[in-house]
Amino acid sequence: MKINDTPQVPGYDCTIDELMVVTFSRALKPDTRAFNGAVSFIPACGFMLARATHAPELVWAAGSIGIDASPTAIPESTLSDGIWQGSTMLANSPFDFWAHAQGARYNTFSFRGAQIDKFGNVNNSVIGQYESPKVRLAGGGGMADLSVMIPRIMLWSTTHTPRTFVDRVDFRSGLGYGDGGDDRQRRGIAGGPVVCVTNLCVFGFHPVTKQMQIETLHPGVSRSDVESATGFNLDSSEKVPPRTARPSDEEIRLLREVIDPGGARKREFA
Amino acid sequence: MRDKVHDLSTVVATIPDGAVIGLGGLSMNSVPMALVREIVRQGKKNLTVVALVAGMPIDWLAAVGAVERVITGLVSLEGFGLAQNFRRAVQGGSIAIEEYSEHLLICRLQAQSHRLPFVPTRAGLGTDILKLHSHSRAVREEIDPVTGESYVACSRLPVDIALVHCHEVDRLGNARVNPKLIWMDNELVNAADRTIVSSESIIGTDEFRSEPWRTTYPSFMTESVTCVPWGALPTSMFQVYSHASGFYERYSRACEDERTFITFFNKYIVEPETWQDFLRVNNLGELHKQNEN
Repeated sequence: MKINDTPQVPGYDCTIDELMVVTFSRALKPDTRAFNGAVSFIPACGFMLARATHAPELVWAAGSIGIDASPTAIPESTLSDGIWQGSTMLANSPFDFWAHAQGARYNTFSFRGAQIDKFGNVNNSVIGQYESPKVRLAGGGGMADLSVMIPRIMLWSTTHTPRTFVDRVDFRSGLGYGDGGDDRQRRGIAGGPVVCVTNLCVFGFHPVTKQMQIETLHPGVSRSDVESATGFNLDSSEKVPPRTARPSDEEIRLLREVIDPGGARKREFA
Repeated sequence: MRDKVHDLSTVVATIPDGAVIGLGGLSMNSVPMALVREIVRQGKKNLTVVALVAGMPIDWLAAVGAVERVITGLVSLEGFGLAQNFRRAVQGGSIAIEEYSEHLLICRLQAQSHRLPFVPTRAGLGTDILKLHSHSRAVREEIDPVTGESYVACSRLPVDIALVHCHEVDRLGNARVNPKLIWMDNELVNAADRTIVSSESIIGTDEFRSEPWRTTYPSFMTESVTCVPWGALPTSMFQVYSHASGFYERYSRACEDERTFITFFNKYIVEPETWQDFLRVNNLGELHKQNEN
């Protein structure tokens, strides 16, 4: 995965990766206590940006180990030791990490995958039949754990296509709202996905059905663009979704000059 | 006292074909790569590898058909793409994958460490991971009779040999990781019947005695040790060296063409005679030294 050029957002003085980071950052609550896993450049930038703007008390364990890290550069791997720079603690014990996770001391978990379905379940294991897969993917890592243990789930995807956004994932590596409705609750599992930031739009989740619905459209993207890029039926209510808010000059400056001058966030774009 | 220090080929020679190996390190951090390369060179067969989150070592073992089963949560080269030899082997059916999530696997190892029938967690509830194990019941949903809460019981996972890399050892087999930043290596060592340690350096036992709070593995937990400076490259060793981006890039590029890959693999990974030769051929070492962290 290289650092690629990313498209300009029409009418906004930023590129799509920057709009996604800013949108993700703004969706973070001030009481966020988060950590990150592999290939999580957008959230890593988002946590740092939120901390520098509206959420100064946000807690971020970089690579799940470097608590309150402030790396001067984001390395090629969001799990590698370079991301721990400036931490107040290197949490060296998996016992502590899993206690903080399972005990919901951490409250926010972000993950992505090769497929995301309408209820926010995520697949990063196989495409096709499990026993004879068309593509064997990396695997879910901690997804199946943390999507159950952590109440506030934030999804993102830099590849909004019908291949990524599917009606039903081929394999459920990480739990969103399961079969939808109160399925998650009935299993005794708190919370669920609150947002999914893509390169075309921002999805929220219907309060009752728990199905993804368009919350805002990025500039230059129409509702029908999103519909044709999405593999499940979207609720076609009358009102046109608002446009995703414009990043402030300060947010863009912080992102470009302070948080991610090397452009690691662009690694997530093919 | 028995001197546990041996050369690289001697310690790896004790690993029999068909063994269940617990591979230390996490993703691109502190993997005992010199031990893995020696396994490749000695032509081991039919290994089962337990690795929580791994990439490069699994891909090397997959490339030469040394492994028949991988017990894991995630295998990839992260920012450098999928582990292509592993992917091809699983899709082609020559490697069986036994897939868990991280915490399910950690709980299985903790159960094994304590020699208990199972350890409970809430990990995996509502996902398809549990369905994969409905036949073996190695991980299974149960209900606590006292509170009525659902949990997942994770049965113990036997491991024959743990392979871990550390900063310092002594001749008795005491070992230090400086600082003790090892994600699951402790669980592997505690779970395994025996442990082989590779180390950046050998120091005196008196140094262990003068700062005993820094010891990571006591000598009674380690069977043999071998001294291999830079022994985790191309993965990192915290505070000593970073992962080698250039190597990862070259490797993932070479993986794209299945036909020419084996030439690359033989030339740069298998054929260099010693670990020092491997480092020299691939321009690994001083270049990757970490500065202040």
